[in-house]
Amino acid sequence: MNNVTITKEVDKKIETKGAVDLSVGSFDPATMSVATPEQEGRSNHWEVRTQEQDYAFLPTHEDRSEIKEKNRYGQLIDCVDLSGLPKERSMFINENPEVGTNPNRNKQHGFFFTADNCIGCHACEAACSEKNENPAHLAFRSVGYVEGGSYPDYKRMNISMACNHCDDPVCLKGCPTKAYTKHAEYGAVLQDPETCFGCGYCTWVCPYNAPQLDPVKGRVSKCNMCVDRLEVGLKPACVSACVGNALDFGVIENTPENREQCKTSIPGFPDPEITHPNIRFQQTKTLPDEMNRTDSMPVKYHKDKEGNYKPVIDQKAGKAKHWNLGKLNSRENPLVLFTLFAQAAFGTFLIPFLGALFGVEALTSFVHSDMFLPLTVISLVMTAFALLMSVTHLGKPMRFYRGFNNLRYSPMAREGFGLALLSAGCGITALFSLPMNTWVNEVSIELFSLNLVELSAGLPLSNLQLGAGIFTILAGSGGIYYMNKCYQIKARPFWHHIQTATSFLGNSLSLGAVVSGSIVVTTLILSKASSALIEQAIILFSSVFTFGLLLEAIGLIKHNKDLNKSDNEGGAAHYIQCTTFGKTYLLRNSLLGLNVLLASSLLLSTLLGFNDINTLLILWSALAVLNAITAIIGRALFYILVIPTTMPGAFFWKNKGFEQHARDIGLADNPATGVAPLAH
Amino acid sequence: MLFGRKKRKPISIPAKKVKEWKYTTCNYCSTGCSIEIGLDENKKLVTSRGHAGADVNRGKLCIKGLLEHELFESPGRGTTPLIRNKHYDKFEKTSWDHALDTTAEQIKKIQNKYGRDAFAIISTGQLLTEEFYTLGKLARGCIGTNNYDGNTTLCMASAVSGYKRSFGSDGPPGCYDDFEHTHCFMAFGSNLPEQHPIIYWRLKEALEKRKFPLIVVDPRVTMLAQFADIHLPITPGTDCVLINAMMHVIINEGLQDKAYIDAHTQGFEEVKALVQDYDPKSAQHVCGIDEDKIRTVARLYAKAPAAMSIWTMGINQSTHGSDGVANINNLNLITGNIGKPGGTSLSITGQCNAMGTREWSSCSGLPGYRYLENPDDRQEIADFWGIDPEFFPKKRGLAETDIFPAIETGEIKGLWIVATNPMTSMPDTSRIRKALEKLDFLVVQDVYEDVEMNQYSHVYFPAAVWAEKQGCHTNTERRVNLIDNALEPYKESKPDFWIFNQMAKRFENGQKIHFPEKPEEAFNEMKKLSVGTNAYGNERTLDISGMSYEKIMKARGIQWPYREAAEGEEETLKGDPRLYTDGKFQTKSGKANLLPIKFFNNNEQPCKDYPFWLNSGRVVEHFHTRTRTGKIGNCNKFSPTPYMEMNPDAAIELGIEHQSYVRLTSRRGDAVVMVQLTQRVPRNMVFIPFHFHDCVNRLTLGLLDPHSRQPAFKQGSVRIDKVDQKEAAQLNVERRAF
Repeated sequence: MNNVTITKEVDKKIETKGAVDLSVGSFDPATMSVATPEQEGRSNHWEVRTQEQDYAFLPTHEDRSEIKEKNRYGQLIDCVDLSGLPKERSMFINENPEVGTNPNRNKQHGFFFTADNCIGCHACEAACSEKNENPAHLAFRSVGYVEGGSYPDYKRMNISMACNHCDDPVCLKGCPTKAYTKHAEYGAVLQDPETCFGCGYCTWVCPYNAPQLDPVKGRVSKCNMCVDRLEVGLKPACVSACVGNALDFGVIENTPENREQCKTSIPGFPDPEITHPNIRFQQTKTLPDEMNRTDSMPVKYHKDKEGNYKPVIDQKAGKAKHWNLGKLNSRENPLVLFTLFAQAAFGTFLIPFLGALFGVEALTSFVHSDMFLPLTVISLVMTAFALLMSVTHLGKPMRFYRGFNNLRYSPMAREGFGLALLSAGCGITALFSLPMNTWVNEVSIELFSLNLVELSAGLPLSNLQLGAGIFTILAGSGGIYYMNKCYQIKARPFWHHIQTATSFLGNSLSLGAVVSGSIVVTTLILSKASSALIEQAIILFSSVFTFGLLLEAIGLIKHNKDLNKSDNEGGAAHYIQCTTFGKTYLLRNSLLGLNVLLASSLLLSTLLGFNDINTLLILWSALAVLNAITAIIGRALFYILVIPTTMPGAFFWKNKGFEQHARDIGLADNPATGVAPLAH
Repeated sequence: MLFGRKKRKPISIPAKKVKEWKYTTCNYCSTGCSIEIGLDENKKLVTSRGHAGADVNRGKLCIKGLLEHELFESPGRGTTPLIRNKHYDKFEKTSWDHALDTTAEQIKKIQNKYGRDAFAIISTGQLLTEEFYTLGKLARGCIGTNNYDGNTTLCMASAVSGYKRSFGSDGPPGCYDDFEHTHCFMAFGSNLPEQHPIIYWRLKEALEKRKFPLIVVDPRVTMLAQFADIHLPITPGTDCVLINAMMHVIINEGLQDKAYIDAHTQGFEEVKALVQDYDPKSAQHVCGIDEDKIRTVARLYAKAPAAMSIWTMGINQSTHGSDGVANINNLNLITGNIGKPGGTSLSITGQCNAMGTREWSSCSGLPGYRYLENPDDRQEIADFWGIDPEFFPKKRGLAETDIFPAIETGEIKGLWIVATNPMTSMPDTSRIRKALEKLDFLVVQDVYEDVEMNQYSHVYFPAAVWAEKQGCHTNTERRVNLIDNALEPYKESKPDFWIFNQMAKRFENGQKIHFPEKPEEAFNEMKKLSVGTNAYGNERTLDISGMSYEKIMKARGIQWPYREAAEGEEETLKGDPRLYTDGKFQTKSGKANLLPIKFFNNNEQPCKDYPFWLNSGRVVEHFHTRTRTGKIGNCNKFSPTPYMEMNPDAAIELGIEHQSYVRLTSRRGDAVVMVQLTQRVPRNMVFIPFHFHDCVNRLTLGLLDPHSRQPAFKQGSVRIDKVDQKEAAQLNVERRAF
């Protein structure tokens, strides 16, 4: 620069020309082709790079000594031995029938993550997204981190996580459409987006956030283990791209060269007992006792006596209680309506029909009245509306019929199936009730000159109606039972509680009692039934109503008690319930408590002889409205609050708090922000 | 299939269907990774991959390189030349001819009225070497302005200056292979995992094979600092004190390499005398590293059979940048760690072709490390180009950082900006904005028409990018590598090479000087200019005479010096991995200069009104001013909006919450950022990535290094105030066009 001393000595000058004439043998790199012996002896599923490096190739394990027979959970590592399927089957990747040349293709494979080494450089994520052509808002692999300590004694541990191709793939079992397959080849759990109808249930059950629901395309997709690369003996793209020497891949339980540990857990990773994930870790560096998450999840990880890190609540939202009533209105609204209406529909049919079956006089007379048909139709309409709501929640509603494909494993398929049968049962019951219904028969005679009573004279209608009714009750019970089962998810401890069951059953009874009770009592009044009969009906329905409320309340009390002691994501969700939604939660609880108190007092006074029917009806109606409000708030909270056991996110990426903020302020309108607008 | 499944579900994985792989080198940082671009049978780009056979990256790429092929059709690309009368008018589309004619007329008009130097040119480190050489010809030989510089002044000028002061010439003397041989590795203000992930990988590979101590000097607990055996969390701007104290220990304990010092250096006594003032006992209070640690590190470094230092912006972007580099060189010279395997002073460069611009652009002189100050150099180049040597100035003109103040004072009236974005990258944005408003004429040549610089331009030239062009890069280990033109330029954009050639035709000297049509012809001119000796009769280190595009591609890059193989000698396609292996330096005496570096404290420091250090730097997913990475969603999503690392303990005192917005103020201006609380930074410091427009550089002071004219981006002070969250969020969205 400016510190150069000038001298005159230049002893050798280059040849100079005025007008330069430099002839160029122009070089066209395109004509330079490089032979690729790298592909030799390998299948054609993936093009091996010229001069591919060792790090990209899977070890062949030719001596077999390094491969264990069983994994640490006792499961056979050889999937052919495990399944009894033949070897050398084609995977038909992109319909290509060629059988892969990987000698270990029938062994369960898995990722190996050296947490000591990850630098959080995003190369794995980028390589994955490039290969799979994923838009910015989707990723099969994501890197988040936990951090702890105090400057300068500070440690950040990055965690790169994709699908763990579990021994017990809860996604596969949960998926109602059978979109998932666990292959005997590599033990890969693959999902077919073309089969998926976008219910997102797999994203609920997976503890690692592996399946990705794309709100734009309305379907799930996930890590495919790069089986195309595996079939030529290459490691997955993410592993090959790793710059920190943190990610590796191979036959499970096999500790890679240069690594000394092979464990199943690191701070931030959910309990491996849930799914027996096929991932192993090395994490030898000492970390601070407490590791925090930078994302908005109110969870941090604390070291226990054995040196394992367990989730504990991180009071990120402070301690103040808020309303946040606006947030009750969420994309889960259809599910709020679905569950409430389905439960109400079931209760509506169940209470009068079962009551009649047990010979309660008021109900026997009702079931034999002309008003029983409208009640079954109302129950049918409510179930149908509920199912419609659940369908609108799907990413691909037109594929709703696929919802029953996995009755073998999926509680969701069974739930849907049960509720479909419930509506069918209501329909059949209604059908058998038609000929016996005086109004219908009159209309039929008038319009079509058909006397239904005569037409059906030979049929045992009462028995058929009874049978159909019992079928309806069984179907509905199944539906509601599996509805509860759907939420008994280990990866979502807030739901994984008896409270889900008590709330679903409680609401079935309380809401069902309101709907059926109003029909039955009105019928009795209009048909000028004796006041004793009316009183009997009122007492019965109010008992059921009160019992429903009580059941829900007891469940909630236990939920509150258990979660107050819980340190995991369930406790964290409850912490949010008590802070961010603290006032709303209190309101719901007070309303429910008040309702229980009022309902039991009213019931008691009726039993003690207070029998002014008009007053009773007005008061019960008020309590019914109160209950409807409580139920809606409660169910909305149920969906909004759940915190899954999921991988720690980063400051922007996979941070729910930032995603919400980006949507709120409009940053998400730019697709390069990587935050998808919500489709529902 | 397990779990009783019989029916096969189809497995669909995107198949890339590549017909042809085109060879290129990455266009982001200076690591110099080889990339192959995959074209399908319709010549449409479908994918890319790292070249597994290239020595630099061995198939690996970082996030930016992996997704780089997505930039060709990203939003905001310039499609056609634009023109307007005033910067506040609306742009109109125009033809290339009209845009070039207007620009040439304006340049001449300004030069006629105010003198040749009243028109300035600021270029970049992003172009191809042939383009730099051509721009140099145009700027020095045709337009004839002396106010011509590159944005490398913002990143590498201190390294260049330090190298020149110590060794007599620029050019990093080491290479990545040194990791395989070193016994002690010391990083000053360099965060390889985030800034140069592939170089980090090379280091990690070496460490996994053979463990050696890793010492990291950085005020932040970066990823590299976290992995260090010894982390020295230094007080910003005091590296010279630390190094002097280390040398104090080394020299006073007799640990220096006496034989090497005697044979190959000059000035030892002055250094020895100076470092007596830097006893670790007193130095610890200045640099913030305790005396025990200083001694440990000094002894470790001096006793290692081979020790190496790397540095990046932590050293360069400081008022002691050049001094810091010279002092790192001092440390390595007195321990005999220059030019030997595993012993080196390796500056880790920022931009992909910062080296190319240093070597061939004529920014700081004339092509091939020649000096304007040297009459023989002027004569030689004038003869080679076929012009009168008197056309050249006899002294280097203004650096980029002095050009803007000269616009401010009215000395410079017109400016040509090539592939750089001072509106975001220069310190003190408001000052830059004011200066740009004053220009009579501004032409911006860039790949993107939404580059913030374009807000003040009168003419805009849409440039082609990366693999739409052909030519070379030189990486940080002096490896010349090739970029092939895999694709046609986007819409009406043109390669920079073409633009310079067309502009040359519009100047008188452009008729005299030969401007070849093809990049390789320009490369051949450079080859010719690279042989011979420098001003002191030393053989030129920057000798590329043995290279050709074909050989470069075959070797996946060749390091300079690389001379033609003598007859009968087998061609190795390998240049010299290291410089100065013979202990001969490019100085008059042939000896390296040991320079006494005196510390003086002229930094803006935290005070009562502005209590926080303001530190800035890079994140891995973004490059420079985000004009490219901000539009690639799979990069941008990892930091789509500006943020600031802040210590949680400091935040508690101020009542500031994680992921809320705050307003920062400095003596220059203000910025609104989102807070990320982390113990990564000390209680009295905040760190803000520099990539975002209207953000950290609204605050920075950027005092200039006296030797290199590089701004001290990393030493300034700020105050933090709470803001209305809603308004801040709105402002944040408004300030992000991309």
